[in-house]
Amino acid sequence: MAFVPGQPVTAVVQRIEIHKLRQGDNLILGFSIGGGIDQDPTQNPFSEDKTDKGIYVTRVTEGGPAEVAGLQIGDKIMQVNGWDMTMVTHDQARKRLTKRNEEVVRLLVTRQSLQKAVQQSMMS
Amino acid sequence: MDDYDIRSAASILASVKEQEARFERLTRALEEERRNVSLQLERASQPDRLSICNIGNGQPLATAWQQLVLQEQSPSNQTSIAMMQEPQEMVEETVTVEEDPGTPTSHVSIVTSEDGTTRRTETKVTKMVKTVTTRTVRQVPLGPDGLPAMDGSSPMGSYTDSIDRRYLKNGERYITPQASSTLTRSYNSYNDSYPESHEGQYRPYLGHDGYGDLSDNYGSLSRGVGYRPRYAYVPGSAYRPDDGSFTLPSRRDNYGPVAQPQVPVGSNADLNRSQPERFQPEPYGLEDDNRSLGVDDEGYELDPDYSTVNRRTSAGVPERGRPHKGRGYEEPMEPEMVEERIPYLHGGYAAPLAQPERGSMASIDRLGKRSPSIDSIRKDPRWRDPDLPEVIAMLSHPIDPVKSNAAAYLQHLCYENDKIKKDVRHLKGIPILVGLLDHPKPEVHRKACGALRNISYGKDNENKVAIKNCDGIPALIRLLRKTNDMEVRELITGTLWNLSSYEPLKMVIINHGLQTLTNEVIIPHSGWESEPNEDSKPRDAEWTTVFKNTSGCLRNVSSDGAEARRRLRECDGLVDALLHALQSAVGKKDTDNKSVENCVCIMRNLSYHVHKEVPGADKYQELDAGQTTGTGGSQKKKKDDAGCFGGKKAKEEWFNQGKKNGDLDRNFDTLDLPKRSEAAKGFELLYQPDVVRLYLSILTESQNFNTLEAAAGALQNLSAGNWMWSTYIRATVRKERGLPVLVELLQSDSDKVVRAVSIALRNLSMDRRNKDLIGSYAMGELVRNLPSRQQRSAKNLEEDTVVAVLNTIHEIITDSSENARSLIQTQGIQKLVAISKSSQSPRETKAASHILQMIWSYKELRNALQKDGWNKSHFQSVSAALKGSKGPAGRSGYDDSTLPLVEKSQDNEKSGSRDMIPMDELGPDGYSTIDHRDKERKYKSSDPSGDASEKEPLKNDTNRKNINRSNRASVNLVDARDIKPQPVDSWV
Repeated sequence: MAFVPGQPVTAVVQRIEIHKLRQGDNLILGFSIGGGIDQDPTQNPFSEDKTDKGIYVTRVTEGGPAEVAGLQIGDKIMQVNGWDMTMVTHDQARKRLTKRNEEVVRLLVTRQSLQKAVQQSMMS
Repeated sequence: MDDYDIRSAASILASVKEQEARFERLTRALEEERRNVSLQLERASQPDRLSICNIGNGQPLATAWQQLVLQEQSPSNQTSIAMMQEPQEMVEETVTVEEDPGTPTSHVSIVTSEDGTTRRTETKVTKMVKTVTTRTVRQVPLGPDGLPAMDGSSPMGSYTDSIDRRYLKNGERYITPQASSTLTRSYNSYNDSYPESHEGQYRPYLGHDGYGDLSDNYGSLSRGVGYRPRYAYVPGSAYRPDDGSFTLPSRRDNYGPVAQPQVPVGSNADLNRSQPERFQPEPYGLEDDNRSLGVDDEGYELDPDYSTVNRRTSAGVPERGRPHKGRGYEEPMEPEMVEERIPYLHGGYAAPLAQPERGSMASIDRLGKRSPSIDSIRKDPRWRDPDLPEVIAMLSHPIDPVKSNAAAYLQHLCYENDKIKKDVRHLKGIPILVGLLDHPKPEVHRKACGALRNISYGKDNENKVAIKNCDGIPALIRLLRKTNDMEVRELITGTLWNLSSYEPLKMVIINHGLQTLTNEVIIPHSGWESEPNEDSKPRDAEWTTVFKNTSGCLRNVSSDGAEARRRLRECDGLVDALLHALQSAVGKKDTDNKSVENCVCIMRNLSYHVHKEVPGADKYQELDAGQTTGTGGSQKKKKDDAGCFGGKKAKEEWFNQGKKNGDLDRNFDTLDLPKRSEAAKGFELLYQPDVVRLYLSILTESQNFNTLEAAAGALQNLSAGNWMWSTYIRATVRKERGLPVLVELLQSDSDKVVRAVSIALRNLSMDRRNKDLIGSYAMGELVRNLPSRQQRSAKNLEEDTVVAVLNTIHEIITDSSENARSLIQTQGIQKLVAISKSSQSPRETKAASHILQMIWSYKELRNALQKDGWNKSHFQSVSAALKGSKGPAGRSGYDDSTLPLVEKSQDNEKSGSRDMIPMDELGPDGYSTIDHRDKERKYKSSDPSGDASEKEPLKNDTNRKNINRSNRASVNLVDARDIKPQPVDSWV
């Protein structure tokens, strides 16, 4: 999933719609993110390309809204409600996901197994 | 596990033999039936007759069934026709049927007679027939085909006709124009579908869409088409479809020939009786059931054979069913199968019987129902095993029973066969199996899980990775949350246990499943309740297979470094539940089993480095420091500076510590345990002094070496380190009279137990009183474990163990001339000199020479030594030789790590100089003592035993291929440590 800045990215993505869960005053999605253009990409255990500064799902609460929706650890978030997530800071991504007035977030995510599945089907 | 395997192998053999026997009987019975049927047919060329006959026979039930059948048939026929025209899916189903059809043909004749009846009765039976009948009906139609062809003219008949036609074709004679046409179609479609499925598994999905439809179809088809599908279910039948391509041909041929009646055996005889002309109707009813049963059985049987696991077969499948199965298998071979089946039908299997069978089949799922037992039975004339690509293609077959049978067969094939596992992986079978885990039907996801369990077992980690790469781990966890079926849960947790033996997957399992495994398995089976009901007494742990598997899995993942430990410690309820389970084990004196072993190993791993890794640990460190200053802190500093022993900081430190600890101990003895405002919970429980009693009980009672080692290791881990809790632990061990327990274990036959106990004693001797006691009472046992000149050692202990014992001795005599004196009195000098001069192991040599040096440093002992004939050269030559490397030998660290030690090869160098040890290494942590471990760890780490906790492979497959991995974890630990700034991670 390496890409060159300025060049279009081709990736196999899955749409995931997460309905936030209300916990007290907070709306939670039930996952955590890592990465961002302000973070050290070499410490991202999930990226194949260690220069990838994308936003990755680092944890998913078992049984939480994100897991129910099919989000998985290691997923790379490409878009949130249509907003690009491949070139944002960690905090921008966090804010984009946690807007209080949005009860539903729609993600485009990609993951290795998706890519592989498509490759295999194309090859076979 | 071995037993298990043996049993399964034996049971498979037995079931195969059974099947064969049944097959024979069935064949004979079928033949007889055929004859009868053909006779009947001849007599009553028309359906009316047949019906009459049935009635006349006086088997009302049978008639009823038949009637029912007819009704169903009619609908089914309609549906079937429609289906055929419409969706491919339908066609596929039909295909399955086709396989059966061959067999059915013979039946068909019978059916014909029934058809006659059916028409008449149709109205009555309809309702009842629905489930059971359906299948029958189809068959009946087939039979009728010959006869029905006539009927076919009527609307109802048309359905039958279609069915009949097929059969006719198969059967030969009864071909009606229409019928033949329909049949052909179905076959064609069938064939098409199969090829498709082989090529692209995706087609099946189309079928899936049909699922709802399929089932409906079955219902509708049931009569005609539907039944066929069921046939498909039968493993044999499923393949038969392929047969269509592969084997099928024979059946039809056979059908013609089938007629040869043979004398039925045993039960068959009964059948035969009934078979005779009149009762044909009954036979049908029975047949259906039987067939269905038979089919089911086949399915079941397959399962059993395939999977080690299969229980169903034995338990679930009724005797009858088994025979059927037998038929199914054998039948394929014989064209007469059809006939055989017929006999069954005739066979005295009364309708009622059939129903019960269904029940049994029910477990299997639809197979039974769907299975047109008769058809399936008849089919197989030339039957062959599907090859691997075919089986994998069948995993995507639209018909669920085909899927489940294919998965079961895969499980069977993979059993102890690494090549097949690999082939399955290369053929992309694993993602399909993982996909089936989400299948709503229990039979399907169960079988898929069984196959995955076998595939995940073994040394080939590629298979494990393949499962993980297609998101198999979250899928397994999902299924675990969803299912209440114990067997499925065993399979899931077994698979996870297998997967957990591969290092890179450990964190994945933690990430996806830790809390679920804890909530779904560990907590409920441990008997622990977070809010116990005061009225009820505490529950005991249940040592179920699920618990064993899950604890094994967690045991493996618990060795994956600091992060893994942190996650497990902080997992809600996990530590509480494990401790409760162990307490319960001790209470019941049941401490030898595998589950207990797993639990203790997890506890040991989680106890590793608690004093560094637990949140708030520094607080207790400070506390400790505070106490130190209060009591002997100032002394310590002074001493350090002064450097009593040649300015060796390490020694001094130890020395100081000893004193310091001594002071603390005194306090403790009078009572110094911190009072808690609230009960400890979660990871706090790991290091509460209460656990000491638990571990000591285990050490006293268990006969399981692994458990003993782990319990000793837990004490070792807990007594290491400098924080407040380890001080309490050390004192508590003494107060609980744990030292004699440990000393006694030094006599253990197990190398690793001796090693773990020895290191635990060394850590415990940080407590001054413990040191005195250990010096007095343990020295003899320690020395006894050392090799003497003649024999390497009485027990022939491994190098690591010998080194551990030497280091413990060194620690005990350090700063205690009394202990050094007792070493001399136990004739230890002779052994030490021998080791230092002649051991093959440099590590042993160093360790021994360090002890000797230490002894010689006690001037007050020199007289005694010289009296015994020793002189300075015995003590110093060695040391001189060693110089430069003294450090390591001297290492008197405390090991806290049973776990994979953090082993750095560098340690050796570092350790070389004691001076470095104390503060440099510890520096950051502030623990002066702990670091020593590192050095020790080296030793330990060299021992795989350190890790012992990990990897227990799953037995399912059989053995322990994975079993020995060991210290990799250590590497991980190091990594974890080295990590710099933690990357930002935000919950959203």
